[in-house]
Amino acid sequence: MIARNSVGAGVLARAVMGLTLLSGFAFAADLKAPKQATAGESITITAADSGHLLLFGPGGATKRKVSAGDVQIPGEDVRAAGRYMAILDDASAEFYVVAAKPSTVNFLARPSRVPVSRPDAISGVAFVFDEFQNLFLKPAPVKFDLSVKENAPATRTVESKNGIAFTRLPSASKEGAAQFVASVAGGTPVRRVVQQVASDACDLRMKAQKTDKSIIVETDPIKDCSGNAVPDGTIVTFIEVTDKGRSTVDARIKRGTARAELPLSSNGTISVASGVVTGNELHLGGGQ
Amino acid sequence: MKNWLPIVLIALLTLVYAAEKNNGPAVELNAEAAQPRQVEDVTEKAITRDYANAWKVLETALSENRTDQLASGFAGVAQDKLEKRIEGQRASNLKVRIIDRGHKLEAIFYSPEGSALQVHDTAQLEIEYLNGNSVVHREQVTQRYLALLTVGEDRWKVRVLEEEPQS
Repeated sequence: MIARNSVGAGVLARAVMGLTLLSGFAFAADLKAPKQATAGESITITAADSGHLLLFGPGGATKRKVSAGDVQIPGEDVRAAGRYMAILDDASAEFYVVAAKPSTVNFLARPSRVPVSRPDAISGVAFVFDEFQNLFLKPAPVKFDLSVKENAPATRTVESKNGIAFTRLPSASKEGAAQFVASVAGGTPVRRVVQQVASDACDLRMKAQKTDKSIIVETDPIKDCSGNAVPDGTIVTFIEVTDKGRSTVDARIKRGTARAELPLSSNGTISVASGVVTGNELHLGGGQ
Repeated sequence: MKNWLPIVLIALLTLVYAAEKNNGPAVELNAEAAQPRQVEDVTEKAITRDYANAWKVLETALSENRTDQLASGFAGVAQDKLEKRIEGQRASNLKVRIIDRGHKLEAIFYSPEGSALQVHDTAQLEIEYLNGNSVVHREQVTQRYLALLTVGEDRWKVRVLEEEPQS
Protein backbone atom coordinates (compact mmCIF):
# COMPACT_ATOMS: atom_id res chain seq x y z
CA MET A 1 0.00 0.00 0.00
CA ILE A 2 2.80 2.26 1.03
CA ALA A 3 4.89 1.08 -1.88
CA ARG A 4 1.99 1.69 -4.10
CA ASN A 5 1.59 5.08 -2.51
CA SER A 6 5.30 5.69 -2.82
CA VAL A 7 5.11 4.59 -6.46
CA GLY A 8 2.09 6.87 -6.83
CA ALA A 9 4.01 9.72 -5.21
CA GLY A 10 6.93 9.08 -7.55
CA VAL A 11 4.65 9.18 -10.56
CA LEU A 12 3.05 12.33 -9.20
CA ALA A 13 6.44 13.94 -8.59
CA ARG A 14 7.62 13.03 -12.08
CA ALA A 15 4.37 14.32 -13.57
CA VAL A 16 4.70 17.61 -11.68
CA MET A 17 8.32 17.88 -12.79
CA GLY A 18 7.36 17.08 -16.36
CA LEU A 19 4.54 19.61 -16.33
CA THR A 20 6.87 22.24 -14.87
CA LEU A 21 9.40 21.56 -17.60
CA LEU A 22 6.69 21.46 -20.20
CA SER A 23 5.06 24.66 -19.00
CA GLY A 24 8.50 26.26 -18.76
CA PHE A 25 9.19 25.24 -22.35
CA ALA A 26 5.79 26.39 -23.46
CA PHE A 27 6.34 29.66 -21.68
CA ALA A 28 9.76 30.04 -23.31
CA ALA A 29 8.24 29.42 -26.69
CA ASP A 30 5.20 31.60 -26.08
CA LEU A 31 4.38 34.61 -28.22
CA LYS A 32 1.12 36.44 -27.81
CA ALA A 33 -0.40 38.90 -30.27
CA PRO A 34 -3.87 40.40 -30.52
CA LYS A 35 -6.09 38.48 -32.91
CA GLN A 36 -7.00 41.60 -34.80
CA ALA A 37 -5.64 45.14 -35.06
CA THR A 38 -6.46 48.29 -36.97
CA ALA A 39 -4.20 49.54 -39.72
CA GLY A 40 -1.75 52.21 -38.59
CA GLU A 41 -2.35 51.65 -34.86
CA SER A 42 0.50 50.31 -32.77
CA ILE A 43 0.08 46.89 -31.18
CA THR A 44 1.73 44.99 -28.36
CA ILE A 45 3.17 41.52 -28.77
CA THR A 46 4.15 39.70 -25.61
CA ALA A 47 7.29 37.63 -25.84
CA ALA A 48 8.20 35.09 -23.20
CA ASP A 49 11.83 35.19 -24.13
CA SER A 50 14.34 37.56 -25.63
CA GLY A 51 15.68 37.15 -29.13
CA HIS A 52 15.00 38.30 -32.66
CA LEU A 53 11.36 38.96 -33.40
CA LEU A 54 10.56 38.51 -37.08
CA LEU A 55 7.39 40.14 -38.37
CA PHE A 56 6.10 39.23 -41.82
CA GLY A 57 3.17 41.21 -43.17
CA PRO A 58 1.51 42.12 -46.47
CA GLY A 59 3.25 45.50 -46.63
CA GLY A 60 6.63 44.81 -45.08
CA ALA A 61 8.91 42.52 -43.11
CA THR A 62 11.02 43.46 -40.09
CA LYS A 63 13.52 41.88 -37.74
CA ARG A 64 14.08 43.43 -34.32
CA LYS A 65 15.95 42.39 -31.20
CA VAL A 66 13.56 42.15 -28.27
CA SER A 67 13.66 41.36 -24.58
CA ALA A 68 11.13 39.17 -22.82
CA GLY A 69 7.93 41.03 -22.07
CA ASP A 70 5.79 43.45 -24.02
CA VAL A 71 7.08 44.50 -27.42
CA GLN A 72 5.57 47.59 -29.01
CA ILE A 73 5.08 47.31 -32.76
CA PRO A 74 4.69 50.83 -34.14
CA GLY A 75 1.67 51.68 -36.28
CA GLU A 76 3.84 52.27 -39.33
CA ASP A 77 4.77 48.55 -39.35
CA VAL A 78 1.13 47.45 -39.48
CA ARG A 79 -0.34 49.79 -42.06
CA ALA A 80 -1.25 47.17 -44.65
CA ALA A 81 -4.41 45.16 -44.07
CA GLY A 82 -4.03 41.39 -44.09
CA ARG A 83 -2.38 38.56 -42.24
CA TYR A 84 0.77 39.04 -40.19
CA MET A 85 3.06 36.37 -38.80
CA ALA A 86 5.28 37.08 -35.80
CA ILE A 87 8.07 34.59 -35.14
CA LEU A 88 10.49 34.38 -32.23
CA ASP A 89 12.64 31.27 -32.18
CA ASP A 90 10.20 28.35 -32.09
CA ALA A 91 7.21 30.47 -31.18
CA SER A 92 4.86 32.08 -33.63
CA ALA A 93 1.67 34.10 -33.55
CA GLU A 94 -0.57 35.26 -36.34
CA PHE A 95 -2.87 38.24 -36.37
CA TYR A 96 -4.93 40.21 -38.84
CA VAL A 97 -4.89 43.89 -39.53
CA VAL A 98 -8.10 45.42 -40.85
CA ALA A 99 -8.54 48.72 -42.65
CA ALA A 100 -8.80 51.98 -40.69
CA LYS A 101 -11.77 54.28 -41.31
CA PRO A 102 -12.64 55.08 -44.93
CA SER A 103 -10.96 58.17 -46.26
CA THR A 104 -10.95 58.06 -50.03
CA VAL A 105 -12.47 56.43 -53.07
CA ASN A 106 -11.09 55.32 -56.40
CA PHE A 107 -13.80 56.10 -58.88
CA LEU A 108 -14.63 54.66 -62.28
CA ALA A 109 -17.25 56.57 -64.28
CA ARG A 110 -18.45 55.29 -67.64
CA PRO A 111 -19.01 56.23 -70.37
CA SER A 112 -17.10 59.45 -70.86
CA ARG A 113 -19.65 60.60 -73.48
CA VAL A 114 -23.34 59.77 -73.43
CA PRO A 115 -26.53 60.90 -75.19
CA VAL A 116 -29.02 62.86 -73.05
CA SER A 117 -32.18 61.38 -71.53
CA ARG A 118 -31.05 57.75 -71.49
CA PRO A 119 -32.09 55.64 -68.51
CA ASP A 120 -29.25 53.96 -66.57
CA ALA A 121 -26.78 55.21 -69.16
CA ILE A 122 -24.09 56.32 -66.70
CA SER A 123 -22.42 53.93 -64.30
CA GLY A 124 -20.23 54.80 -61.36
CA VAL A 125 -18.11 52.33 -59.39
CA ALA A 126 -16.40 53.51 -56.21
CA PHE A 127 -13.71 51.52 -54.40
CA VAL A 128 -13.51 52.59 -50.77
CA PHE A 129 -10.04 52.82 -49.21
CA ASP A 130 -8.62 53.93 -45.90
CA GLU A 131 -5.70 56.34 -45.65
CA PHE A 132 -3.23 53.47 -46.03
CA GLN A 133 -4.73 52.23 -49.30
CA ASN A 134 -6.48 49.27 -47.71
CA LEU A 135 -9.83 48.32 -49.15
CA PHE A 136 -12.44 49.10 -46.50
CA LEU A 137 -14.49 45.90 -46.34
CA LYS A 138 -17.22 46.87 -43.88
CA PRO A 139 -20.32 48.56 -45.31
CA ALA A 140 -19.85 52.32 -45.76
CA PRO A 141 -22.21 54.83 -47.40
CA VAL A 142 -20.89 56.25 -50.67
CA LYS A 143 -22.58 59.33 -52.13
CA PHE A 144 -22.82 59.76 -55.91
CA ASP A 145 -23.76 63.17 -57.34
CA LEU A 146 -24.38 63.82 -61.02
CA SER A 147 -25.03 67.41 -62.06
CA VAL A 148 -25.07 69.43 -65.26
CA LYS A 149 -24.50 73.18 -65.18
CA GLU A 150 -26.84 74.91 -62.76
CA ASN A 151 -29.35 72.05 -62.59
CA ALA A 152 -29.91 70.32 -59.25
CA PRO A 153 -27.73 67.20 -58.99
CA ALA A 154 -29.12 63.70 -59.10
CA THR A 155 -27.91 62.14 -55.84
CA ARG A 156 -27.72 58.55 -54.75
CA THR A 157 -26.23 57.08 -51.62
CA VAL A 158 -25.18 53.47 -51.91
CA GLU A 159 -23.75 51.26 -49.19
CA SER A 160 -20.49 49.61 -50.18
CA LYS A 161 -20.09 45.86 -50.06
CA ASN A 162 -16.64 44.32 -49.78
CA GLY A 163 -15.23 47.78 -50.42
CA ILE A 164 -17.21 48.50 -53.58
CA ALA A 165 -20.29 50.65 -54.23
CA PHE A 166 -21.81 51.11 -57.65
CA THR A 167 -24.74 52.91 -59.14
CA ARG A 168 -26.42 53.57 -62.44
CA LEU A 169 -27.91 56.95 -63.22
CA PRO A 170 -29.87 58.32 -66.15
CA SER A 171 -28.28 61.01 -68.28
CA ALA A 172 -29.83 64.45 -67.85
CA SER A 173 -32.13 66.05 -70.40
CA LYS A 174 -29.72 68.95 -71.03
CA GLU A 175 -26.46 68.53 -72.86
CA GLY A 176 -23.17 69.63 -71.36
CA ALA A 177 -20.31 68.43 -69.20
CA ALA A 178 -21.80 66.58 -66.24
CA GLN A 179 -19.85 66.54 -62.99
CA PHE A 180 -19.99 63.03 -61.55
CA VAL A 181 -18.73 63.00 -57.97
CA ALA A 182 -18.25 60.12 -55.53
CA SER A 183 -17.44 60.63 -51.86
CA VAL A 184 -17.36 58.97 -48.46
CA ALA A 185 -18.12 60.82 -45.23
CA GLY A 186 -15.08 62.78 -44.14
CA GLY A 187 -13.16 61.91 -47.29
CA THR A 188 -12.10 63.92 -50.31
CA PRO A 189 -14.69 63.83 -53.10
CA VAL A 190 -13.48 62.43 -56.41
CA ARG A 191 -14.76 64.08 -59.58
CA ARG A 192 -15.17 62.75 -63.11
CA VAL A 193 -16.60 64.48 -66.15
CA VAL A 194 -19.21 62.80 -68.32
CA GLN A 195 -19.94 64.69 -71.50
CA GLN A 196 -23.65 64.56 -72.20
CA VAL A 197 -24.42 65.16 -75.83
CA ALA A 198 -27.65 65.57 -77.78
CA SER A 199 -29.47 62.38 -78.46
CA ASP A 200 -30.88 61.28 -81.84
CA ALA A 201 -32.62 63.84 -84.00
CA CYS A 202 -36.28 64.39 -83.29
CA ASP A 203 -38.91 65.63 -85.78
CA LEU A 204 -36.40 65.76 -88.63
CA ARG A 205 -37.74 68.03 -91.40
CA MET A 206 -36.35 69.23 -94.70
CA LYS A 207 -37.35 71.50 -97.54
CA ALA A 208 -36.30 71.40 -101.21
CA GLN A 209 -35.68 73.99 -103.84
CA LYS A 210 -35.29 73.35 -107.55
CA THR A 211 -32.59 75.19 -109.45
CA ASP A 212 -31.76 74.97 -113.17
CA LYS A 213 -29.37 72.06 -112.67
CA SER A 214 -30.29 70.36 -109.39
CA ILE A 215 -32.49 70.13 -106.35
CA ILE A 216 -31.13 71.71 -103.18
CA VAL A 217 -32.40 70.04 -100.02
CA GLU A 218 -31.82 71.47 -96.55
CA THR A 219 -33.09 70.46 -93.14
CA ASP A 220 -34.53 72.70 -90.47
CA PRO A 221 -32.24 73.10 -87.42
CA ILE A 222 -31.80 69.53 -86.16
CA LYS A 223 -32.53 68.99 -82.47
CA ASP A 224 -33.16 66.03 -80.22
CA CYS A 225 -36.45 65.53 -78.39
CA SER A 226 -35.21 67.60 -75.44
CA GLY A 227 -34.39 70.56 -77.68
CA ASN A 228 -30.59 70.08 -77.68
CA ALA A 229 -28.89 70.75 -80.99
CA VAL A 230 -27.58 67.56 -82.59
CA PRO A 231 -23.78 68.08 -82.88
CA ASP A 232 -22.22 69.34 -86.08
CA GLY A 233 -20.60 66.53 -88.00
CA THR A 234 -23.48 64.11 -87.46
CA ILE A 235 -24.35 62.39 -90.74
CA VAL A 236 -27.71 63.06 -92.39
CA THR A 237 -28.68 60.99 -95.41
CA PHE A 238 -30.82 62.32 -98.26
CA ILE A 239 -32.28 59.77 -100.70
CA GLU A 240 -33.89 60.65 -103.99
CA VAL A 241 -35.84 57.91 -105.80
CA THR A 242 -37.01 58.64 -109.35
CA ASP A 243 -37.96 56.55 -112.39
CA LYS A 244 -34.31 56.94 -113.49
CA GLY A 245 -32.91 55.41 -110.32
CA ARG A 246 -31.82 56.18 -106.80
CA SER A 247 -29.38 58.84 -105.55
CA THR A 248 -28.03 58.92 -102.01
CA VAL A 249 -26.07 61.77 -100.47
CA ASP A 250 -24.55 61.71 -96.96
CA ALA A 251 -24.17 65.21 -95.60
CA ARG A 252 -22.80 66.35 -92.27
CA ILE A 253 -24.65 68.73 -90.02
CA LYS A 254 -22.99 72.13 -90.24
CA ARG A 255 -24.10 74.99 -88.02
CA GLY A 256 -27.16 73.02 -86.96
CA THR A 257 -28.51 72.02 -90.38
CA ALA A 258 -27.61 69.60 -93.17
CA ARG A 259 -27.70 70.46 -96.82
CA ALA A 260 -27.21 68.52 -100.08
CA GLU A 261 -27.56 68.80 -103.83
CA LEU A 262 -29.52 66.09 -105.63
CA PRO A 263 -29.94 65.41 -109.39
CA LEU A 264 -32.70 67.36 -111.06
CA SER A 265 -35.86 65.39 -111.66
CA SER A 266 -39.49 66.20 -112.25
CA ASN A 267 -40.93 63.19 -110.42
CA GLY A 268 -40.10 60.84 -107.61
CA THR A 269 -39.61 61.21 -103.85
CA ILE A 270 -36.90 62.57 -101.55
CA SER A 271 -36.50 61.26 -98.02
CA VAL A 272 -34.18 62.22 -95.19
CA ALA A 273 -32.78 60.21 -92.26
CA SER A 274 -30.25 60.56 -89.47
CA GLY A 275 -29.21 57.36 -87.75
CA VAL A 276 -32.39 55.40 -87.07
CA VAL A 277 -34.59 58.49 -87.32
CA THR A 278 -36.43 59.21 -90.56
CA GLY A 279 -37.80 62.62 -91.42
CA ASN A 280 -40.41 63.93 -93.78
CA GLU A 281 -40.74 62.83 -97.39
CA LEU A 282 -41.09 65.20 -100.35
CA HIS A 283 -42.82 64.26 -103.59
CA LEU A 284 -41.44 65.77 -106.75
CA GLY A 285 -43.73 66.96 -109.53
CA GLY A 286 -46.89 68.96 -109.35
CA GLY A 287 -44.87 72.10 -108.95
CA GLN A 288 -43.03 70.95 -105.79
CA MET B 1 13.98 -0.62 -77.08
CA LYS B 2 11.54 -1.80 -74.39
CA ASN B 3 14.07 -0.82 -71.72
CA TRP B 4 13.91 2.80 -72.87
CA LEU B 5 10.14 3.06 -72.64
CA PRO B 6 9.89 3.82 -68.87
CA ILE B 7 12.65 6.41 -69.14
CA VAL B 8 10.93 8.13 -72.06
CA LEU B 9 7.61 8.08 -70.16
CA ILE B 10 9.20 9.55 -67.05
CA ALA B 11 10.90 12.22 -69.13
CA LEU B 12 7.58 13.11 -70.78
CA LEU B 13 5.78 13.26 -67.45
CA THR B 14 8.52 15.47 -66.07
CA LEU B 15 8.17 17.79 -69.04
CA VAL B 16 4.38 17.95 -68.63
CA TYR B 17 4.75 18.61 -64.90
CA ALA B 18 7.34 21.30 -65.55
CA ALA B 19 5.11 22.92 -68.18
CA GLU B 20 2.15 22.93 -65.77
CA LYS B 21 4.28 24.35 -63.00
CA ASN B 22 5.51 27.01 -65.37
CA ASN B 23 1.94 28.19 -65.97
CA GLY B 24 1.44 28.90 -62.30
CA PRO B 25 -0.80 27.30 -59.70
CA ALA B 26 -4.14 25.66 -60.35
CA VAL B 27 -6.91 28.24 -60.39
CA GLU B 28 -10.65 27.54 -60.60
CA LEU B 29 -13.14 30.33 -61.10
CA ASN B 30 -16.83 30.21 -60.34
CA ALA B 31 -18.38 33.34 -61.82
CA GLU B 32 -22.06 32.49 -61.38
CA ALA B 33 -22.63 34.93 -58.52
CA ALA B 34 -20.93 37.90 -60.16
CA GLN B 35 -22.96 41.12 -60.07
CA PRO B 36 -24.09 43.36 -61.70
CA ARG B 37 -22.72 41.99 -64.95
CA GLN B 38 -22.32 38.42 -66.07
CA VAL B 39 -18.75 37.32 -66.72
CA GLU B 40 -18.16 36.28 -70.33
CA ASP B 41 -16.53 32.90 -71.05
CA VAL B 42 -13.51 34.53 -72.65
CA THR B 43 -13.07 36.77 -69.61
CA GLU B 44 -13.31 33.78 -67.25
CA LYS B 45 -10.47 32.08 -69.10
CA ALA B 46 -8.39 35.25 -69.12
CA ILE B 47 -8.94 35.82 -65.39
CA THR B 48 -7.97 32.25 -64.54
CA ARG B 49 -4.81 32.46 -66.64
CA ASP B 50 -3.76 35.91 -65.44
CA TYR B 51 -4.51 35.27 -61.75
CA ALA B 52 -2.38 32.11 -61.90
CA ASN B 53 0.39 34.12 -63.51
CA ALA B 54 0.14 36.78 -60.79
CA TRP B 55 0.58 34.16 -58.07
CA LYS B 56 3.53 32.64 -59.88
CA VAL B 57 5.09 36.09 -60.03
CA LEU B 58 4.28 36.67 -56.34
CA GLU B 59 5.88 33.41 -55.27
CA THR B 60 9.08 34.13 -57.18
CA ALA B 61 9.20 37.69 -55.91
CA LEU B 62 8.82 36.69 -52.24
CA SER B 63 11.22 33.77 -52.35
CA GLU B 64 13.95 35.59 -54.28
CA ASN B 65 13.27 39.12 -53.02
CA ARG B 66 12.84 40.38 -56.56
CA THR B 67 10.53 43.14 -57.69
CA ASP B 68 11.39 43.18 -61.38
CA GLN B 69 8.57 40.87 -62.50
CA LEU B 70 5.82 42.25 -60.28
CA ALA B 71 4.37 44.59 -62.90
CA SER B 72 3.48 41.66 -65.13
CA GLY B 73 0.90 40.46 -62.61
CA PHE B 74 0.16 43.37 -60.31
CA ALA B 75 -0.75 47.03 -60.54
CA GLY B 76 -1.57 49.95 -58.29
CA VAL B 77 -1.97 49.34 -54.57
CA ALA B 78 -1.13 45.63 -54.71
CA GLN B 79 2.09 46.27 -56.57
CA ASP B 80 3.10 49.10 -54.20
CA LYS B 81 2.52 46.94 -51.13
CA LEU B 82 4.41 43.99 -52.56
CA GLU B 83 7.35 46.21 -53.44
CA LYS B 84 7.45 47.53 -49.88
CA ARG B 85 7.16 44.02 -48.51
CA ILE B 86 10.06 42.79 -50.59
CA GLU B 87 12.09 45.87 -49.74
CA GLY B 88 11.52 45.06 -46.04
CA GLN B 89 12.42 41.40 -46.53
CA ARG B 90 15.59 42.36 -48.37
CA ALA B 91 16.63 44.85 -45.69
CA SER B 92 16.13 42.25 -42.93
CA ASN B 93 17.47 39.30 -44.91
CA LEU B 94 14.13 37.53 -44.73
CA LYS B 95 12.26 35.51 -47.33
CA VAL B 96 8.97 33.72 -47.75
CA ARG B 97 8.62 30.58 -49.80
CA ILE B 98 5.15 29.57 -50.91
CA ILE B 99 4.22 26.14 -52.18
CA ASP B 100 0.95 26.81 -53.89
CA ARG B 101 -1.67 24.05 -53.80
CA GLY B 102 -4.28 25.95 -55.76
CA HIS B 103 -6.95 28.63 -55.66
CA LYS B 104 -10.73 28.52 -55.78
CA LEU B 105 -12.13 31.84 -56.90
CA GLU B 106 -15.67 33.07 -56.55
CA ALA B 107 -16.44 36.19 -58.53
CA ILE B 108 -18.60 38.56 -56.52
CA PHE B 109 -18.47 41.80 -58.49
CA TYR B 110 -17.96 42.51 -62.17
CA SER B 111 -18.26 46.18 -63.01
CA PRO B 112 -20.96 47.30 -65.46
CA GLU B 113 -18.43 48.36 -68.10
CA GLY B 114 -16.38 45.17 -67.63
CA SER B 115 -13.09 46.61 -66.47
CA ALA B 116 -12.94 45.45 -62.83
CA LEU B 117 -13.62 42.10 -61.21
CA GLN B 118 -13.62 41.24 -57.52
CA VAL B 119 -13.16 37.69 -56.28
CA HIS B 120 -12.98 35.75 -53.05
CA ASP B 121 -10.06 33.37 -53.26
CA THR B 122 -9.70 30.32 -51.05
CA ALA B 123 -6.06 29.35 -51.38
CA GLN B 124 -4.32 26.19 -50.17
CA LEU B 125 -0.79 27.18 -49.31
CA GLU B 126 2.30 25.83 -47.66
CA ILE B 127 4.33 28.74 -46.42
CA GLU B 128 7.93 28.70 -45.25
CA TYR B 129 9.39 31.72 -43.49
CA LEU B 130 13.14 32.08 -43.86
CA ASN B 131 15.66 34.02 -41.86
CA GLY B 132 18.62 34.13 -44.20
CA ASN B 133 18.53 30.66 -45.68
CA SER B 134 17.11 28.93 -42.59
CA VAL B 135 13.47 28.00 -42.43
CA VAL B 136 12.28 29.37 -39.09
CA HIS B 137 8.62 28.55 -39.43
CA ARG B 138 6.54 26.39 -41.70
CA GLU B 139 2.77 26.18 -41.97
CA GLN B 140 -0.03 24.82 -44.10
CA VAL B 141 -2.94 27.20 -44.39
CA THR B 142 -6.27 27.56 -46.07
CA GLN B 143 -6.29 31.30 -46.55
CA ARG B 144 -9.11 33.50 -47.82
CA TYR B 145 -8.14 36.46 -49.97
CA LEU B 146 -10.13 39.29 -51.42
CA ALA B 147 -8.73 40.26 -54.77
CA LEU B 148 -9.61 43.02 -57.18
CA LEU B 149 -8.45 42.64 -60.74
CA THR B 150 -8.58 45.30 -63.42
CA VAL B 151 -8.03 44.90 -67.10
CA GLY B 152 -4.88 46.47 -68.51
CA GLU B 153 -3.50 46.81 -71.98
CA ASP B 154 -3.21 43.09 -72.67
CA ARG B 155 -4.16 41.25 -69.49
CA TRP B 156 -5.89 41.33 -66.13
CA LYS B 157 -3.76 42.49 -63.24
CA VAL B 158 -4.25 42.18 -59.50
CA ARG B 159 -4.84 45.65 -58.08
CA VAL B 160 -5.84 44.67 -54.54
CA LEU B 161 -4.89 41.45 -52.73
CA GLU B 162 -5.78 41.25 -49.06
CA GLU B 163 -6.00 38.31 -46.70
CA GLU B 164 -9.34 38.13 -44.96
CA PRO B 165 -9.58 37.29 -41.27
CA GLN B 166 -10.70 33.72 -40.67
CA SER B 167 -14.34 33.71 -39.65
